[in-house]
Amino acid sequence: MEAARQIGVELTVASEQASTLEAANPAGLLTLDFEQPDRAADAARVFATQYPIAGVVGVDDRTAVVAAAIATKLRLRGNPVHAAIAASDKHLQREQLAKAAVPIPRFMLHSLEEDPAAIAKSIKYPCVLKPVRLSASRGVIRADNPPSFLAAHSRLRAILADPETAAACGDRARHYLIEEFIPGYEVALEGLVVDRRLHVLALFDKPDPLDGPFFEETIYVTPSTVPGGLQAAIKDCADRAVRAVGITDGPLHAELRYNENGPWLIELAARPIGGRCSAVLRFGDNAISLEEIILRHALGMAIPSLQRERLAAGVMMIPILGAGRLQEVRGVAEAKRVPLVEDVQITAHPGERLIPFPEGSRYPGFIFARGETSAAVETALREAHSRLTFVIA
Amino acid sequence: MLTGGVRRFSEVDDAKGSPLAEAIFAIPGLAVSELIVSGNIVTVVKRSAVPWQAVGKAVGSAIRTTLASDAPAVAASPKPASAVSDDALYEQVARVFDEQVNPMVARHGGHVELIDVQDAVVMLRMGGGCQGCGMADVTLRQGIEGMLAQLVPAVRGIVDITDHTSGANPYFQAAKK
Repeated sequence: MEAARQIGVELTVASEQASTLEAANPAGLLTLDFEQPDRAADAARVFATQYPIAGVVGVDDRTAVVAAAIATKLRLRGNPVHAAIAASDKHLQREQLAKAAVPIPRFMLHSLEEDPAAIAKSIKYPCVLKPVRLSASRGVIRADNPPSFLAAHSRLRAILADPETAAACGDRARHYLIEEFIPGYEVALEGLVVDRRLHVLALFDKPDPLDGPFFEETIYVTPSTVPGGLQAAIKDCADRAVRAVGITDGPLHAELRYNENGPWLIELAARPIGGRCSAVLRFGDNAISLEEIILRHALGMAIPSLQRERLAAGVMMIPILGAGRLQEVRGVAEAKRVPLVEDVQITAHPGERLIPFPEGSRYPGFIFARGETSAAVETALREAHSRLTFVIA
Repeated sequence: MLTGGVRRFSEVDDAKGSPLAEAIFAIPGLAVSELIVSGNIVTVVKRSAVPWQAVGKAVGSAIRTTLASDAPAVAASPKPASAVSDDALYEQVARVFDEQVNPMVARHGGHVELIDVQDAVVMLRMGGGCQGCGMADVTLRQGIEGMLAQLVPAVRGIVDITDHTSGANPYFQAAKK
């Protein structure tokens, strides 16, 4: 909304649950059925007869599909629906990536109805179990042997049994992927696809090892310290993935690993990095936001710059150290005083139940820092985090 | 910082005599368009494109420096020439809140409190399900602001002075990442 305000465009916010004020501002608030992208697109078409729509942007995996359906229906700039669906469905995506020979882990689709003991005996280790349609590392668990596979399977089954989670997974709620575990250093690529061409906006290092058994994120810092030649290979790998999946326009978030065999694509999504984390990115002389770039692109407006600022920047997604209800967070002021730290945002509210990964997927807060080097930013984030105490009962 | 009231500053001349406002308006590169002090809550609205992460520390420093002094941080509000019209606007906005906004947001356990109207700018605080809600900004900008634009067009702006981090029962959770 802030980005729309910055560039002076009128905005309609669509949500799956009606805003209590929708009747008071029918041009600005719209309820759509995100479970049924075609129906949502039909509703948007009807809406557009009264309130013309010039562009549409999704904010997460599910709304990226709805946005694609609306863009197709209204002939707006956006991805084809099949590409948005493939980007949000880990199995479909991997099938297309494999067909195009993009380097990805070996994968198999299984049903929760299959006998896990039989599967555990037949697969190679280490492997990673993944829900087909969840994001933010939720339900992603590494298994190193049959007993840990059975334990992981049991946890994943419980996660997918939750009605809200099952609804988010749609017809994939009873399926999961088993992937080969790829050792290596992980990076995240933030990009904008313009007419099938990938522009890299930022490459983030993830300096904390992501070796499992769970895969919650912690630190993202950019610019990456990965050598230039390897960065080019990473970009090329993401570029091939974009073409393989059929993404044509809009934001892209990809996660890749590299090792002695080169880069591997681990995840791909036709959406931007999360809204809070995107605050570390700013572009051009006027420090415009990622959201402004995405809106300008969707609307066909000129984009002043795709060049990220000179300074290094980073964010820490604060890890959840234990389950329970949050009582208070101590040390926020001290954390904010750490040099280079720009902000500490605690997003969990008092009394909120904190659920560690892999069952949970919500970070209790975020730390932002900016400085001359990525190393200095990373140090500042860790220092600020060390000053925080989450009191959980 | 300011006991028993709200003070709004919309330009540097307003800030004279209020050390906190003078300090914040003087921050280089911030280009303050509005500053509101309500009790211990300070709300700064900027014109600058510079992100908050880059200028927030300077605001914090200005607040701490001002509080370290013995002088009152904010002077009492002078009686503005437009006080009557603000009073009239207050009545109109209060009626919209009572009769329309609050019955609507109550469906999500929320409520919106009208704090003051100064220079035709509405200051409000959200509570209940609205406080800390992941959709609070949508409610504010796409809902309340739009309603006031239609029903009380003399309103020039709207400022949320809610401490959303303290919301204990938000209707929608904040974003994951």
